[in-house]
Amino acid sequence: MNSFQLIIASLLVLASGIFIIPFLSARLKAIVNFIFVLLISLLTSIPAVYALMGNPTELILQGTAFFGKIPLRIDALSAWFMLIINLTCINGALYGIGYMKSYQEQKTNLSVHWVLFLIFQSSMLWVCMLQQSLAFLIAWELMSLSSLFLVVFEHQKTQTLRAGMNYLVQMHIGVIFLTIGFIQIYFTEGSTDFHAIGTYFATNPNFWVFLLFFIGFGIKAGFIPLHSWLPHAHPAAPAHISGVMSGVIVKLGIYGIIRIALLLKTDLILIGESLLTLSVITAAYGILNAAIHRDLKKMLAYCTIENIGIIGSGIGLFIIGMGMNKPLLIVLGLSGALLHTLNHSLFKSLLFFTSGSVYQQTHTRDMEKLGGLVKQMPQTAIFFLIGALAIGGLPPFNGFVSEFLIYSGFLAGIRNTGLIHSTLMILSLSGFAIVGGLSLLTFTKSFGTIFLGSPRDQLHTKPHEVSLGMRIPQIVIVGIMLSIGFFPQVYFSVILHTIISIVPSFQFQDASVLSPLNNIVTLMAEIGRYSILFLILISSVILIRYSIVKKRVEQFNTTWGCGYIAPNKKMQYTGKSFSKTLGKLLGFIVSEKKRYTELSPQEIFPQSRKHSSHYTDFFEHNIIHPLTERLLFSLNYFQFIQNGRTQTYVLYGVFFIIIIFLGTLFKFI
Amino acid sequence: MISFVVIILASLFFSGIIVRTKSIASGRKGPGIFQPMKDIFRLLKKGSVYSETSSFVFQIAPSIYFASVLMAIMVIPFGKSEGIISFDGDFIFFAYILALGKFFSIISAMDTGSSFEGMGASREALYSLLVEPAFFILMGSFALFTGHTSFHDIFISLHFGSYVAYALGCLATFVLIMIAMIENSRMPIDDPKTHLELTMIHEVMILDNSGFDLGLILHASNLKFAMYGALIANFFIDTLPFYLTIPIFFAVQLIFAVAVGVFESFSARFRMNHNAQFIFALTSIALLIFFGVLMVIGKFI
Repeated sequence: MNSFQLIIASLLVLASGIFIIPFLSARLKAIVNFIFVLLISLLTSIPAVYALMGNPTELILQGTAFFGKIPLRIDALSAWFMLIINLTCINGALYGIGYMKSYQEQKTNLSVHWVLFLIFQSSMLWVCMLQQSLAFLIAWELMSLSSLFLVVFEHQKTQTLRAGMNYLVQMHIGVIFLTIGFIQIYFTEGSTDFHAIGTYFATNPNFWVFLLFFIGFGIKAGFIPLHSWLPHAHPAAPAHISGVMSGVIVKLGIYGIIRIALLLKTDLILIGESLLTLSVITAAYGILNAAIHRDLKKMLAYCTIENIGIIGSGIGLFIIGMGMNKPLLIVLGLSGALLHTLNHSLFKSLLFFTSGSVYQQTHTRDMEKLGGLVKQMPQTAIFFLIGALAIGGLPPFNGFVSEFLIYSGFLAGIRNTGLIHSTLMILSLSGFAIVGGLSLLTFTKSFGTIFLGSPRDQLHTKPHEVSLGMRIPQIVIVGIMLSIGFFPQVYFSVILHTIISIVPSFQFQDASVLSPLNNIVTLMAEIGRYSILFLILISSVILIRYSIVKKRVEQFNTTWGCGYIAPNKKMQYTGKSFSKTLGKLLGFIVSEKKRYTELSPQEIFPQSRKHSSHYTDFFEHNIIHPLTERLLFSLNYFQFIQNGRTQTYVLYGVFFIIIIFLGTLFKFI
Repeated sequence: MISFVVIILASLFFSGIIVRTKSIASGRKGPGIFQPMKDIFRLLKKGSVYSETSSFVFQIAPSIYFASVLMAIMVIPFGKSEGIISFDGDFIFFAYILALGKFFSIISAMDTGSSFEGMGASREALYSLLVEPAFFILMGSFALFTGHTSFHDIFISLHFGSYVAYALGCLATFVLIMIAMIENSRMPIDDPKTHLELTMIHEVMILDNSGFDLGLILHASNLKFAMYGALIANFFIDTLPFYLTIPIFFAVQLIFAVAVGVFESFSARFRMNHNAQFIFALTSIALLIFFGVLMVIGKFI
């Protein structure tokens, strides 16, 4: 079968999936969905693997008169993202089988959920394949809508619905920007093909149109200040959906940005610098918020924002490298970004899956109510620990490899470029160091509060380890993560080929320019070796300790309470107090809102009272809310237009027709 | 390889010298310089008491912490001979390896479910996060200065040509000493001899560790001191032959240890709520080094 047939076959599988799933019993739906996800992934991965091996696919679909010809291209960049989508969706679907078991009585809801999951996966794949603006926007919209309905699975809860509405609105603001960008290009170039963007950039100023696309894609990706949907949508969605959304849907924003960035011709250095600055701030802001929040999934959502910042820094480096024509910078930046995209989709879905397991067993996402889960759910605890270490970029796991590439990019940038760049690079370097430190704090806090110590609150049911079906996808993810950590050279050389095939300035270079890049492959191999060495060292120290300690006396006693003899579980250090000093230190960014009533002097015997505090999002609280409130205030005056009477709406139609008629008559339109 | 051996050797007497200096400064006779090592050996031979709240994390964490320090030492070069591990950008690896050890020491403190240990863990996480940028700016500046990105290449190509370069070396030494003090939770930040758990950082984190594990943690701390001492020594030993560099190395370690002892004898610990500013101020000194480098290589005009 050639690529065209494979893609058509994947559409047929999708269609049959949509028809079959609603007619199955509640238990079978999830399993059949998984089989269909697997089939679609297999069918679409084959052309993707071809593309990565150097045989890109290019097909022209004969559309209708309205669409024109629709080019469908799978180059190495699309292929890389398609493989990530497929991997994450397979894991998500597999995890979803176990996770959705407790919702089996909601049969229709489940049908819709699983059908939409299939559509969601396919629409994401099509976003990567289609290269005609109209068709692209349709696939993009399909993706946003299907993910919206996946998010609001628990639509009985008002909070979930509100998060869903927030998501819907913000996605459409993004689409408006994308549409404006595409229209601008269509009117100048007369073509909806993506190649037209390249020809547009060759003759017109690049910065503003790039900005349009960046806002459009950046809302999806979650760059600040466009990030505010993420911390609402992720906690609301079921765990496997959060995993897939955070793992890949935000990455499609990244895909769009890279796609457009590859076509840029001028203003490259300015765009690169702006993107790098914004990304480093995004990373620091995201992880700072993650450090202080107590809702487990909200914390992970903010952490996604951090990782988007890291990926964005890679892209920024790559654009600066294109502007200065430095192959080393291009390769380090883009490979760091692409590898971190894969890495983040792995460890973030792992962390969301573990958070789902915790939620399923304890029915709370509030870290302060949890504690000591390592005793009841040891495997989930280990998965979370591995995810936490990897996301902090600690060796020997995969996060280190991609962060190392970007760090090396900064170091290369310091040396290669002028004063302003040196300063920018060193500030980014130190920004990354802070981000690394903050993520250490965030994840020690989360792991410590959720899994260690003793339970802080009485849970309704005793938590148990989750089923094997839910653990298998996590084991698979950990396996892939370790393979990246130990053999990064394998993944890096694939990415290097990808970069050489997609970056325009590399295509006419001779081998002498590209051969130094192979040094990075050996460097990666060295890092892999040392990671293995590190693991061996750790295990041998543990083994030596074990063999010595097992001969010694071993006693168990209560925790040393510094002389206090009646400690209770409530006295444990909480997650909030763990990050309190940090929150106070940076209180001008993460402001804490407290709600309580003061004791009055007359109150001799105070009644019981409540004290609550929460942290607000700087951008949401200070920019987005005031802005929307002003908008609502002025728009209230136009409420009479939408009065709910059918007659008036008919009248509006008549008005519209008359205006069009008069307009054409007098040649206004 | 040689750096690994000499650092291990230096770690054996490092804290002994600090203790001896402190006792001389306060007019006491004091123990011999190998007393801290004897204490550690005694601990290694003892049995352990574990908290009932703790899990396997508490038992593996000290070993991982110790292993991470050992791994980090392997990265340090010695004059013209490379460390066991050396590649472009190895100082990033160095920082992240140490961070892994810190991660485990923090979660092991959280594992006991004690409020005091959580407090120490929180402070440790915060202070090590604040000190991180100083180290990266320092190393980034030297990467810019020398055009290399591995410890070994940076140190052998540091040419102390101009006076500004000497100033940079001194500033860097100061920053590294302060980083070593903060990483080891010593005087201006944390007082290891304080009597109140509420005011401790590192010591309170290991309240529940005992026996072999405690020995590992204490020796890891010695190793860390010797490791930073070795980094400082590398600024001065250049590419001289070994019969000169090895004495210089031990002299630098000795001066460093004595300096720590003197400093601890004659200064008081900062107020806890001022620590953050103090630590972050190190970053501005590191930035001074960066601007110095820009000046030396002529990017500032």
